[in-house]
Amino acid sequence: MPYHEFDCSKCIPERKKHAVVKGPEDDLTKALPLGYLNTIPGSISERGCAYCGAKHVIGTPMKDVIHISHGPTGCTYDTWQTKRYISDNGNFQLKRTFATDVKEKHIVFGAEKLLKQNIIEAFKAFPDIRRMTIYQTCATALIGDDIDAIAQEVMDEMPDVDIFVCNSPGFGGPSQSGGHHKINIAWINQKVGNVEPEITSDYVINYVGEYNIQGDQEVMLDYFKRMGIQVLSSFTGNGSYDDLRAMHRAHLNVLECARSAEYICNELRVRYGIPRLDIDGFGFEPLSSSLMKIAKFFGIEERAQKIIDEETARWKPELEWYKERLKGKKICLWPGGSKLWHWANVIHEEMGLDVVSVYTKFGHQGDMEKGIARCEVGALAIDDPNELEGLEAMYKLKPDIILTGKRPGEVAKKIRVPYLNAHAYHNGPYKGYEGWVRFARDIYNAIYSPIHRLSYLDISKDEIPEDGGFMTQRMYSDVNLPEEVTKSDSMREYTGKYNIIDDLHKKEYPEFNKKQ
Amino acid sequence: MSAKKKEYGTFNGITMNCELKTKERSGVINPIFTCQPAGAQFASIGIRDCIGIVHGGQGCVMFVRLLISQHFKESFEIASSSVHEDGAVFGALNRVEEAVDVLLMRYPDVKVIPIITTCSTEVIGDDVDGVVIKLNEELLSTKYAGREVHLIPIHCPSFVGSMVTGYDTAVKDFVAYFAEKSEPNGKINLLTGWVNPGDVTELKHLLSEMEIDATVLFEIEGFDSPLMPDGNHVSHGNTTIADLKDTANAYGTYALNRYEGTKAAKYLENKFSIPSIIGPTPIGIRNTDTFLKNLKKMTGKPIPESLVRERGRALDALTDLVHMFLADKKVAIYGNPDLVIGLAEFCLDLEMKPKLLLLGDDNVTYGDDPRIKALQENVDYDMEIVANADLWDLEDRIANQGLELDLILGHSKGRFVAIDHNIPMVRVGFPTYDRAGLHRYPVVGYGGATWLAEQMANALFTDMEYKKNKEWVLNVW
Repeated sequence: MPYHEFDCSKCIPERKKHAVVKGPEDDLTKALPLGYLNTIPGSISERGCAYCGAKHVIGTPMKDVIHISHGPTGCTYDTWQTKRYISDNGNFQLKRTFATDVKEKHIVFGAEKLLKQNIIEAFKAFPDIRRMTIYQTCATALIGDDIDAIAQEVMDEMPDVDIFVCNSPGFGGPSQSGGHHKINIAWINQKVGNVEPEITSDYVINYVGEYNIQGDQEVMLDYFKRMGIQVLSSFTGNGSYDDLRAMHRAHLNVLECARSAEYICNELRVRYGIPRLDIDGFGFEPLSSSLMKIAKFFGIEERAQKIIDEETARWKPELEWYKERLKGKKICLWPGGSKLWHWANVIHEEMGLDVVSVYTKFGHQGDMEKGIARCEVGALAIDDPNELEGLEAMYKLKPDIILTGKRPGEVAKKIRVPYLNAHAYHNGPYKGYEGWVRFARDIYNAIYSPIHRLSYLDISKDEIPEDGGFMTQRMYSDVNLPEEVTKSDSMREYTGKYNIIDDLHKKEYPEFNKKQ
Repeated sequence: MSAKKKEYGTFNGITMNCELKTKERSGVINPIFTCQPAGAQFASIGIRDCIGIVHGGQGCVMFVRLLISQHFKESFEIASSSVHEDGAVFGALNRVEEAVDVLLMRYPDVKVIPIITTCSTEVIGDDVDGVVIKLNEELLSTKYAGREVHLIPIHCPSFVGSMVTGYDTAVKDFVAYFAEKSEPNGKINLLTGWVNPGDVTELKHLLSEMEIDATVLFEIEGFDSPLMPDGNHVSHGNTTIADLKDTANAYGTYALNRYEGTKAAKYLENKFSIPSIIGPTPIGIRNTDTFLKNLKKMTGKPIPESLVRERGRALDALTDLVHMFLADKKVAIYGNPDLVIGLAEFCLDLEMKPKLLLLGDDNVTYGDDPRIKALQENVDYDMEIVANADLWDLEDRIANQGLELDLILGHSKGRFVAIDHNIPMVRVGFPTYDRAGLHRYPVVGYGGATWLAEQMANALFTDMEYKKNKEWVLNVW
């Protein structure tokens, strides 16, 4: 059996089937850990709740909306300003959060009146915003407030506003994933089909499962615009509420994060016959083939090829520079969901890193199937790892870098494994050709950090080296590289700007004539 | 709470007053505080060999751990009972039982397990006190017989109070659980309230200069933990079970904050007749003076020459700043109530004008606070104090009601108010994740007074340069 039993989890045998080591002969039927099962209490898992999966991950990236949580203030306070989903309209969604502030008397007597007051107050405070999402929390789910009825009442009284309700209390499911599902279905049930969009292109898509972390969506939008494709809506990063009500008019759903947003794509296929195309914005080859797949669907291959050629010529020499210096370094890919499979093989193929472990916090078995199929033999795959398992894995695998979240990242720091934020990124965006080079740059900087190297020295016992007053990353990374690499003219370090998103806002695009 | 209004008097026909009012809206736009379980969790990590179990949905822990991690850039251990649908419907006490067992099996050093409730488990009515009795009688006396384990129920319904009351309740619950009379220990209890490691270091320094032995609740200097060659994977507090037991044997308790620690001080006073002094929060020169005077009164120890010099250095630093740069600067302050009031008092001493104080919960006793009463009686310009406030109370006044400010003092959740309205801001309180390393510096004591005033001055200086607003003044300063 390929199952891996952690020493620290021997006492909780139900954990045994949640980790596997990918063997050379194993097929996926043997090498698939259990997934998306109830969390073991007291294990110090990294999982969140179904409220945050709905509100925080998917709802809040919508940029022109008042997002209210119906409950005590904690749920909204705690999830506020913990992600980097930016927008092109001043980041209203990052700056504002709303709670109905449910108190004890409301728990006893009901909080529906309070909710209605809140809705009216919020629209009054922000008269330019006429759209709202409301999220149920544990407390208001348990007291049974009818949020839908209140929302409808307000919409009847205020015809210029539109309100979406998501009933996804924190306890709804083993992790945030339950909330992803609920909000997907709630959105298509309540809102899709309500607005008729203006169609300006022969090629119309919804860009789904993309949350514009540090500008990822805007980078991808740039390619779509250069191909003359109309992006009707983005679900939901940098997305607009009314655009998302018009999803039913797209010709194609282009899906990035199948973990969090495949549900709406599948429903759009069933209800409106819109096909689903899974793509991958990370890595040169996956991105190029993704753009080409979309182009083939519409018969505009030459437009995609032009972008692929231009971008590859511009950025490949920089990616190669890092690849030469990252070859053979061991990496743990420990993200939340979809990056498990988005990064599993391409980070090896295009950056030369060896993936020694993959994990998922809230993924399902299907995600592991994709991740394990793509990662290297010998890799340790873990479902819902807890703190001690993460530590044990790091001690055993001795990775050179780990890509994970803030809390496990701080644990890694303490045992001197450099970490990059897999969810929010360090210096993203990481999607797109340039983004992928930025990712390589961040990995390189972390692995060869002179300060990190200093943490291995015990000045009380070890010989303190007399290597001068400083070291640079190059002095570490290039020491064993041949001259044809170190003196190569065909490769270079990253040359882009710190902020690459603001320039995209000023960019002009070619006009393609619409045929019909 | 009914709005109280105290008119100060009339100057040139303009009515000056300091009003204590409550927010007029029913909801919260950009909250100042999170809820009670977060406060209890923050208290729990100050105790050694302690891992709390938060009884509720997983987000109630995951995001609080993230919040604390954002602030300290460290990871802290807190567990969840991971209540899912079945628990919400049928009761989730079995999840607590399992969580205790799993935690004890896998963390052999753990001795203290607070079981912190949340809104969901309070609403469904899980009998956490009952399950603790059951666990003590069954699991702990069989499987873990001979192992020292303390299960402490802490009730934190999120729909009552705020993170401040959650902290206050948890400190009291820990003290009440452990405090045990034996021999007098010749110490005082120092209840610091919700502070940073830098504050604890500063307070211990003052006590050491006074030659006073104290049990500090909580010993959180370890939150600023090193990166060691042998690796140590978590930061934790260092208050021990023995420290907590010994709180019953002190000859006095000093609670620095009226709203964070007073419950515990009063408990010790009522139960063990240990006299207590509550506040004032030693922010600024004057409050630090009072702190030392009270310590002298409580312990009989004199204030040494070294502290006279230290105070002198602080006064010297402040004198360089006040009339020239800080005088008349209009300030808004938000955050934990003792911090806000302490900062406002200090700002007044610095010749500044606190215009707006925001207290982020619905505590009905703010009006009884003598410090607030003193502000109401003596402030000679328009000042508003808003209880149950949110950050929209600040931003709305700036954006729509003509409030002019030179400076904002508060935690990082309000950063965009400062950024979007071009107002310099000094990050202070919890959390301060958008500035590096602030938890290493004190706001209390003479050291804290100097640091705060210089932070404020430097924020104003940077702003003058950024806006090219008399930036040349600094040439000859």
